[in-house]
Amino acid sequence: MSIIELNEIYTAYEGGDKPVIRDLSLSVKPGEYVVIGGPNSAGKTTLLESINGLIRITHGSATVCGLDLRRSGNEVRRRVGYVIQNFYFDPFTPFTVEEVVMMGRYGRMGLLKRPSRSDFEAVDKAIRLVGIEELAEKTIGTLSGGQQQKTMIAHNIAKEPEVMMLDEPFSNLDFNAREYLQGIFKNMAGNGTPILMVSHAFDGLPETRIHLVVMNRGRITYDNVCDADEVEPIIRDECAVV
Amino acid sequence: MFGFLIENNVVCHAVEAMVFASIACGILGVIISRMSLSSLGFTMSHAAFAGAAIGMFLGIGSQMAAIFFSAFVAALIGPVSDKAKMAADATLGVLFAMSMAVAIFLVSYMQYMGRGLTATNLLFGNVISLYREDIYALAAVSALTVIFVLAFFKEISALMFNMKIAEASGVRVKLVYYILLFIVAISVSLSLNIVGGLLIFVLLVTPASIASQFCFNVRSMFVAAPMIALSVSALGVWAGFKFTLPIAPLVALLLTFVFAISVILSFKRRINYKKY
Repeated sequence: MSIIELNEIYTAYEGGDKPVIRDLSLSVKPGEYVVIGGPNSAGKTTLLESINGLIRITHGSATVCGLDLRRSGNEVRRRVGYVIQNFYFDPFTPFTVEEVVMMGRYGRMGLLKRPSRSDFEAVDKAIRLVGIEELAEKTIGTLSGGQQQKTMIAHNIAKEPEVMMLDEPFSNLDFNAREYLQGIFKNMAGNGTPILMVSHAFDGLPETRIHLVVMNRGRITYDNVCDADEVEPIIRDECAVV
Repeated sequence: MFGFLIENNVVCHAVEAMVFASIACGILGVIISRMSLSSLGFTMSHAAFAGAAIGMFLGIGSQMAAIFFSAFVAALIGPVSDKAKMAADATLGVLFAMSMAVAIFLVSYMQYMGRGLTATNLLFGNVISLYREDIYALAAVSALTVIFVLAFFKEISALMFNMKIAEASGVRVKLVYYILLFIVAISVSLSLNIVGGLLIFVLLVTPASIASQFCFNVRSMFVAAPMIALSVSALGVWAGFKFTLPIAPLVALLLTFVFAISVILSFKRRINYKKY
């Protein structure tokens, strides 16, 4: 059974003359490692933000984690991890890395609830997993771009999501960090949490079967399973065709 | 409330009003400054000012009218931003201009009608003419602000960190944001009598800005900002009575002076030139 089921969805921004996503159908099963590629402005980020309900779907039907996305957007966001593409934290941001990682669990805690022991344990585990223990007490605005990116990944791992979506998660990371984090995501997928990753850098992809989705101009032009070393050539071919 | 400390009833009321307004505005200021919504402060203050002018013009209670009108503006900010797909700051700019226009129009008209003096009180406040009920209302809104921050601390922190990331985490962003707008509206409306529509902005923004120069975490900011506001306001009230000076502008100037000093002394800005 699919954990994400999109049927002929359309997504449009107000004032836009054309929908950003058109007639898009996608099915993702638990444990899949999905790579979403394609040229700039293909609609990749819009697709991720449609899946967690940050952007409204105008037509079609969408089910995520068994929930109707149109009715239960906030509940979907509680269950889906999403590492956003662009963020900037000024040096005076008054939150430590540990606090930011804990914020990943705020949605699932619910209103008026305080973090429990299990929340602190999940935060501790996520920080250790990503390898940022020495940064835990530092304020996030004083960290480098790569360290901030690792913090945001830990923020979403601490959430213990049912689906993990990542938008250009390695843009500020060196090769070793990329390879290490890819290993973490591969393990998550192995434990049944599907990974959906938008990326332009395909080095260090885990040696596993990849569900490759290539987008162009708001449509899916390729949707099939392939090996990690086939990802880049297929995307190049697909982008050259259109 | 502070009658056992201060014998003079007028001074006592002024100090009590300043204390409660400082607590509410100091705490709310931390949130709105961090969310880059400083313009919320001046929009709400001018909305309250316009509401009070409407109340005065119609001959109904200026304070209740201020509360209703600023609550009305607060209710507009969120939906208008969402509907118009504009940044909240731009919506605030539009509503600020509208509020100011309503206020100036009515105040000018009242001056023409020979009722200018009471209208001017709205601009500059009048801390020495407060009733006991005003103080109780301010105490209630300070308590409401403290309860709001304690109850929704984690949601407020998430909003202050990054609104989009908070929303993506499943935090009920809109609910908390709308409650925040309403509490700001009520706090500002009730504080209008003390420092006036033009200076209430100082109480909202400056103490939080001073606290941000020294505090490394949000908890300490929530304690430091109202303490700074409270201390400086109390000093302003004392100096105002002692040297017969206008209290509201004096408090505003003192807070600005403390801000300037804090920017100079802030250890958060220091660069370590040591070689290791």
